[in-house]
Amino acid sequence: MVLNPEEKDELLGRYHIRPDQLPYILSSDPVVREIGAKPGDVIKIMRKSPTAGVAVYYRYVVEG
Amino acid sequence: MAALTGIDVPKKIDFIKFGVLSPSEIRKYSVVEITVPETYDEDGLPIPGGLMDNRLGVLEPGQICGTCGNTSAECPGHFGHIELAEPVIHVSFADTIKQLLTATCRACGRLLIPEAEIEAYRGELENPPSYKPNIRERTAKEIFAKARKAKICPHCGAKKLEIEFTRPHIFHEIMEDGSAVRLTPAVIRERLERIPDDDYRLLGFDPGTSRPEWLVIQVLPVSPVTVRPSITLESGVRSEDDLTHKLVDIVRTNLRVREAKESGSPPLILQDLVDLLQYHVTTYFDNEASSIPPAHHRSGRPLKTLAQRLKGKEGRFRGSLSGKRVDFSARTVISPDPNIDISEVGIPVEIAKKLTVPERVTPWNLHSLRELVRNGPDKYPGANYIIRPDGVKIRLEFVPDRDAYADGLEPGYVVERHLKDGDIVLFNRQPSLHRMSIMAHFVKVLPYRTFRLHPAVCPPYNADFDGDEMNLHVPQGEEARSEALLLMKVQDQIISPRYGGPIIGAIRDYLTASYLLTKDDVLLDPEEFARLAYEGGYDGPLPRPEIEGRRPMYTGKQLFSLFIPESFSYMLTSKWAKSSGRRRDVVVKDGLLVSGVIDKASLGAEEPDSLLHRITKDKGTEEARRFLNPALKLLKEYVTSRGFSYGYDDLEVPANVKEKIRRVLDRTYRQIFKYIEEYKAGKLTPIKGLKLEDVLEQRVMNVLSQARDKAGELLEQVLPDENPGVIMSKTGARGSSLNLGQMMALLGQQAIRGRRIRRGFRRRALSHFKVDDPSPDAYGFVRSSFRDGLSPIEFFFHSMAGREGLVDTAVRTQQSGYMQRRLVNAMEHLRIEYDYTVRDPEGNIIQFIYGEDSIDPAKSDHGAAVNIDRLAEMVLLDEKPDEPKASREEKMELAEDYGGLLTPKLAEELKTVLSSREMTRSSALKICERTIKLFKGAMIEPGEAVGVVAAQSIGEPGTQMTLRTFHYAGVKEKDVTLGLPRLIELVDARKQPSTPVMDVYLDEGHRTSKAKAMEVAKEILFTKVEDIASSIEIDYMSGSITLSLDRELMGDRGCTTKDVADAVKVGKRKVSYDDETATVTVSIGNFDLPMLYALRDKILKTRVKGVAGITRVSLEERDGEWVIVTMGSDLRKVLATPGVDQTRTRTNNIYEIALVLGIEAARQALVDEISKTLEEQGLEVDMRHILLVADLMTHKGILQQVGRHGIVGSKVSVLARAAFEITVPTLAEAAVKGQVDELRGVTENVIVGGVIPVGTGIVDLYIDTSKSGGKKER
Repeated sequence: MVLNPEEKDELLGRYHIRPDQLPYILSSDPVVREIGAKPGDVIKIMRKSPTAGVAVYYRYVVEG
Repeated sequence: MAALTGIDVPKKIDFIKFGVLSPSEIRKYSVVEITVPETYDEDGLPIPGGLMDNRLGVLEPGQICGTCGNTSAECPGHFGHIELAEPVIHVSFADTIKQLLTATCRACGRLLIPEAEIEAYRGELENPPSYKPNIRERTAKEIFAKARKAKICPHCGAKKLEIEFTRPHIFHEIMEDGSAVRLTPAVIRERLERIPDDDYRLLGFDPGTSRPEWLVIQVLPVSPVTVRPSITLESGVRSEDDLTHKLVDIVRTNLRVREAKESGSPPLILQDLVDLLQYHVTTYFDNEASSIPPAHHRSGRPLKTLAQRLKGKEGRFRGSLSGKRVDFSARTVISPDPNIDISEVGIPVEIAKKLTVPERVTPWNLHSLRELVRNGPDKYPGANYIIRPDGVKIRLEFVPDRDAYADGLEPGYVVERHLKDGDIVLFNRQPSLHRMSIMAHFVKVLPYRTFRLHPAVCPPYNADFDGDEMNLHVPQGEEARSEALLLMKVQDQIISPRYGGPIIGAIRDYLTASYLLTKDDVLLDPEEFARLAYEGGYDGPLPRPEIEGRRPMYTGKQLFSLFIPESFSYMLTSKWAKSSGRRRDVVVKDGLLVSGVIDKASLGAEEPDSLLHRITKDKGTEEARRFLNPALKLLKEYVTSRGFSYGYDDLEVPANVKEKIRRVLDRTYRQIFKYIEEYKAGKLTPIKGLKLEDVLEQRVMNVLSQARDKAGELLEQVLPDENPGVIMSKTGARGSSLNLGQMMALLGQQAIRGRRIRRGFRRRALSHFKVDDPSPDAYGFVRSSFRDGLSPIEFFFHSMAGREGLVDTAVRTQQSGYMQRRLVNAMEHLRIEYDYTVRDPEGNIIQFIYGEDSIDPAKSDHGAAVNIDRLAEMVLLDEKPDEPKASREEKMELAEDYGGLLTPKLAEELKTVLSSREMTRSSALKICERTIKLFKGAMIEPGEAVGVVAAQSIGEPGTQMTLRTFHYAGVKEKDVTLGLPRLIELVDARKQPSTPVMDVYLDEGHRTSKAKAMEVAKEILFTKVEDIASSIEIDYMSGSITLSLDRELMGDRGCTTKDVADAVKVGKRKVSYDDETATVTVSIGNFDLPMLYALRDKILKTRVKGVAGITRVSLEERDGEWVIVTMGSDLRKVLATPGVDQTRTRTNNIYEIALVLGIEAARQALVDEISKTLEEQGLEVDMRHILLVADLMTHKGILQQVGRHGIVGSKVSVLARAAFEITVPTLAEAAVKGQVDELRGVTENVIVGGVIPVGTGIVDLYIDTSKSGGKKER
């Protein structure tokens, strides 16, 4: 899921970080292409977690 | 600061910037130009202008430095220089020079790309968008690639010539006519000078710290003598350092070059001399440079020059900077002492007299410290030093009148007194594979000369007493002592962070004893009961005896119960009961052992969910220690007085059983002979994908291992429970039923690399057998037992297998050690931040919530944050029966309210627990509240070095893994890499695993019938023409090739003659086929013989159908559906095959998953594969560690290897990279690029002696700038 600019700002604010400190995902990644995210976007990933049930992860789309 | 507090604040290094020294800087630093190749004159005095000139510093105490006037203790040494007559290449920069020469114009020095592009790149670099990481490196790479292809210079139009580089330092230019012209360093230097700063910057270099021409050496700095001290041997002969030798060579050759130049020698001779100079300078920097012979010492030993000093395990980085020597430590042999506390360590008096603790004199300890000072260094307890308030340290050993000093003692003095009982020390055994390898113990000073260790703490150290030695360190500061006390005490390490279970506990005889004491028929008279209770330190009232009357008797269970904490209840299955199929036999109610025997499952080390584990979790670590200690003392005392031995007689097997075993073996032999007959007659049923010999071998191995199992079973049936061997194996004290079988029944098959022993002589293993002997005895099957003794031949086979075991262990420890080092280096800097994210020191987020639930595995309950089930049980025990029960709605509401504070998984659990039981509202509330409390209590703490813990948790079990690939037992033809090699493969992020396999699940239309599944399998299996051809013929006359196809094979693979014809039909070939005869004819016009042969080979290799790389397929039935299992993997193509279920199909090739399904899928696959590998080996590792490794390996959006090309290689810190591997090139690169090390990681700070930024080291002092007058200062 691609975050909109407000959500992105909220996320960066929450962790006091620059976007490049997020984990990356390449713009050539099959999933990124599928959902149409562009470099500079932040995508939100819902994972099944063996410890917590559900876990949220974010990745910053970078060129490559 | 220093003035303010009176405390010396040590200087702190903020950052380290790397650069290349310019010739002018070198001259500026230099105190003397070295021109004389000699070192000392006849009188042994340094020659001025020589390499030992006293202006370079002094070595011996009495001498005075010619530059600074200090003595050798004070003078740091000063640099000199050598003016080279001809410039030479610096080996470490040769690659950079080559790159620069190819990327720039030989005439004008500009980059070989058009001005417009240069501008574009420059523009982008000035303001790089954040979504283009590593833009500098990538631009440089792009420019290099483009410039390499350029033909003429876009700036001046000069033609570009190819540069040829011969390692380590020779350059040629290929002229237009193809001839090669040597580029001398002087020419190269001129060209490099022409490169403009701006162009140089674009390539990722920093002209501020390194101009390209500086990479060619004109002036060579000469290190101070302190770096290369000469040593004087006893004989008075002076021996110079290797570096001095090398410098002498350089100075000498340099003089010769200069003379030759001045005297106008022929160019050839001059060139030779310059080459010699270049050789000496190269070997001065690196004596292992490729393709030049290393320089040797007169004795023949290769010289250790600069690069060798830095590199490798004993080099400066790993040997001196990352690994430091310490004072206040001791090492000696360890021996067991069950009489001390588990948290204690016994220390020999001799050692206690050498190790000291600084104690500040106060009015309260003045008196006792005076006594210690009076005792002095030789009488225990005494003291070795006193430090006066003015900082002067007095060594009591040299003091004539200690009494005077003792009386002079007053508050403010510090006494370095001997170690005494109750001091805290760190105890360590190498290899330190996990954090429990260093624990804090309390001192117990004892006679004799070994360290004494409680047997129960052997497992975390992996220690035994066959000669092991251990190290001891005495913390000297208050902070160090507090940290040891608060974080490292033995009892605080009972629960291993690897799997959230106890790692300390009863072992060996303790377990035997616990069984002997707590089995049902043990009765103790009051006297013995009281004695044992006393031994355990019990001081309460005696309970009521089980059997009352004239001769009252207690049970063993009663005795054990005395030490179980009050109001403690638990239920579990003992190991003993498990072996006979019973469940949940051990019942502890209200601190009383009601039934069941205590054994490894209750008390043992490395045994999760045991009694000990529960007590530790529920009552805390201190209580656990208070339970374990007396319990173990009691058990020790009991087994000592009762007695327990295992002897030859206990190994006796009744004659009738012996006979039975013999008959089983005879039957097995007959069976094997039958198989061999069948094999010879060709009647053996083949297994797909296996050679017939292998099928036979597999069957034989199967029946042989069955025979041994059967013998073991026979034995087990007759062995009484009171047999000591049985007691030990069933309680988990020592040995297994397999060991019993080998001692009493037979050894069984001795194997090498998982196969029977066939090596040795031709077609037989030993000369004692006939060639092709069919008997299993000839291939290492041992019919004898250890008790009866092995025949010489059997013994030989047994030794062969034993040797393999030893070799295996040796190789394994090496491999897993290296894996651990890589893991730790990759993860050491990861820590929990105050916002519970996991980050590296640059602030890059690796995980948003540690382990996805922020729970510390060491505080977890076997992986789970809270054991709600057990919590409910305990709460409900206290429930008053008359209160009304809560309604379902009420409970759901509570669960909803509190669930929000928990992880989704726990919230769900809470819901089920509440709804599945009847309870009052107050109980439900209590459960909810306590769940939250426990959850919060189990949360990880900011600062925790989760990376290191994860690395250790994955690395440590590596040593316990089997090395070799594991062959799936049974008939399946699966042969997959498992164990340690697989784990290494995974963390290496290899592009291709050594055994790629896929599990291809099928869609609804194909998964139910075997035939349908087979169809899909045929589409996937890679079929080449040669796989189905029975013969191929060449017609030399007509130039055609005729293929005869095998119908059966074609059927197997589901292809037709037409398929083959179509596959072969490419280009101008004429192809015809005949379905009747199953032949395909290919003809070409204009042929010659070689063409025909080439064509034949090409045809044979042509793909007919299937997916390239899939070499074998087989069908497997799983949960009522057919699944295709393949050898070889190609996810993209297989997923595209019709009939395949794309959602469930898996491969073990992680890299392929990353390509096809993306990085997130790869991460999940990595997690799955790592846990599968560990699980398969029976090793328990908490998921959170695996998740962290996987997240770290994928957080850059690509799969990164745990190692120099991946995570460690992409560390920001130069020092950390240099300390890991490839030291010298890393430093060279840092120098030309002007990289800065900000010292934020762990390794860097170890190197510079800083505070490591994890754990208690992340605490920082910030000043509220709003209150300090708005000054922005940290």
